[in-house]
Amino acid sequence: MKSNLKYILKKELREVFRDKKSLMMMLIVPIMIPLVILGMSSLFNTQMNLDISTYNRVGFSYSFDLVEEEIARNLNIDYQFDSPENLQNQLENGSILLYVLKDGNHYTLKYNANNGNSSLALGLVKTFYEQYKRVLQEQQLDLLNVDKSVLDMVIVTEEQVLENTFASTYIVGYAFLFILMAITISATYPATDTTAGEKERGTLETLLTFPIRSRDIILGKLFSVTLSSIVTGIVSLILAIISFQFANCSFEIYESTPIVITLPQIFVSVLVIIIFSIFMSGLCIAIASQSKTFKEAQSALTPLTFVSFFPGMIAFMIEVENNFWYSMIPFLNFSMILNDLSVGIISISCLVTMVISSLLCISVVIWYIIFQYKTEKVLFSI
Amino acid sequence: MITVNNLKKKFIKQKNKKEKEEFYAVDNISFTANCGEIVGILGPNGAGKTTLLRMIAGILIPSEGEIYYDEKDYMHHEIDIKKNLAYLSGNTKIYQSISSYELLSMCCEFYHVPPRIAKERILKISKTLEMDAFLYNRIERLSTGQTQRVNIARCLVHDPQYYILDESTSGLDIISSQIILDFIKNERDHGKCILYSTHYMEEAENICDRVIMMNHGQIIATGTPLEIKKQTKTTNLRDAFFVLIGGRSYEK
Repeated sequence: MKSNLKYILKKELREVFRDKKSLMMMLIVPIMIPLVILGMSSLFNTQMNLDISTYNRVGFSYSFDLVEEEIARNLNIDYQFDSPENLQNQLENGSILLYVLKDGNHYTLKYNANNGNSSLALGLVKTFYEQYKRVLQEQQLDLLNVDKSVLDMVIVTEEQVLENTFASTYIVGYAFLFILMAITISATYPATDTTAGEKERGTLETLLTFPIRSRDIILGKLFSVTLSSIVTGIVSLILAIISFQFANCSFEIYESTPIVITLPQIFVSVLVIIIFSIFMSGLCIAIASQSKTFKEAQSALTPLTFVSFFPGMIAFMIEVENNFWYSMIPFLNFSMILNDLSVGIISISCLVTMVISSLLCISVVIWYIIFQYKTEKVLFSI
Repeated sequence: MITVNNLKKKFIKQKNKKEKEEFYAVDNISFTANCGEIVGILGPNGAGKTTLLRMIAGILIPSEGEIYYDEKDYMHHEIDIKKNLAYLSGNTKIYQSISSYELLSMCCEFYHVPPRIAKERILKISKTLEMDAFLYNRIERLSTGQTQRVNIARCLVHDPQYYILDESTSGLDIISSQIILDFIKNERDHGKCILYSTHYMEEAENICDRVIMMNHGQIIATGTPLEIKKQTKTTNLRDAFFVLIGGRSYEK
């Protein structure tokens, strides 16, 4: 008995690639990836190269002595003097970012915690008072004829050992999460159309009258949805890599630590894209097959978009470390491997576990759908 | 030859909010349809005709009973049987986004008709069913009658031995209906075995060699149209049906 799998696949691919909505769903998220990468890079760049004039406007309720005046000038503080009431009004309307009240030798710094620039001004004014305090302490020690080195009994210096890769790691991590999301959205529409949609249009009944094994019908549908998802994943990856290169050339933050995607990273990304596409396509087909109508299937599949995205996002935010057990958990394993990848880690054992676990899960799901297609339940839900 | 033995199909329906009720849409049906014969399955809506034909075509699984095609048990030879079977109903839907030619080519692929023979066959069928004018048009742009002709062409591409036709003329205009009826008679004359369901009694009287009358899932009469009219002392199958069910039930 000749297999009809290739003819079913041909039919399904023709339907997917001729359908404008399917094509749109395949490309809508990938197109957004460059925007996300460049937008986030621009934001980081602005934050990391912030000009002092954006956070140096400070009010004082008392007049400076000569020492304070000199330190303020050295630190580029744009200072002004006014009454506490007026300073409070100015802080509220944003014309100053912080003001200082003085009571004897007690200084109170009033700032707006909701304003990022106000927090930066806080750091600036703290430096101002540290320097002022040091000068006063040194003057006092001179008067007492005490060696000023008593102030340096503990010396702390900061030294950056590794380059700051926060921005590049963060952006690569998010780009990978978006690729997973693109694949999920890309799989959802054709999976719905080829199962619940075909049922609703009545063509599934016609298809079941042909001499085709239910195994071939399901595998043909699975391969076509998987293929369209892989196309989405690969297009997303290519666009992300191009955007990384463009961001490296366009933003100062990447001058010392450019975003680098190595060949092994690309290879592993493609592997994850393929396995995740198979997994999502199978899952979408399984869920949509249970629905009677296209609309019902869409409602059932909507939560899947979030389920595919959130484990990775949470793991990324709280910096969970990947291990064997996480690599076995569907959804989480893909995100964890991509998170590792964003910091340049490739764990072969986690990769192998993810592949085996995903293929096992999807085999069970596919076996279940093939069984369903052998019965009339798939058509009539009885 | 198609042989049906003690076929039953049980469904469950919601009796009220809490209770469910089992009922037989097809209840213990047995008959035989020979090659070179059109067997009409007649009855009103809800008689069980569609359920019966869907079971014979393999779309529904019988609750009880057996179906044989030339002594091959359907349960064990499903794919082999489907290669020689064509199922067409008034509601059969076909893929809309492709042309008639693409659809027929696809069907040929499913039946493993070699490409060269497939092309010749499609063009020949197109000529016979007067489809040349719209063969390369997308199906979504065709009229109901034209779509049903494409549907018939779909049934012909693999030259099947058995036809299961379920109210295939319902909703069609007189010309399209006639094309289908002519095609059925022609296939019968070529030795094909045809099961034809309709609720148009006059139509059945004209083309069926034998009829099986059904009501409430059971056979109430079987024989040639002449035999049934004789048996019920009526002049047409419509009156015969009412005699068999004990009068015009709607008048009661």
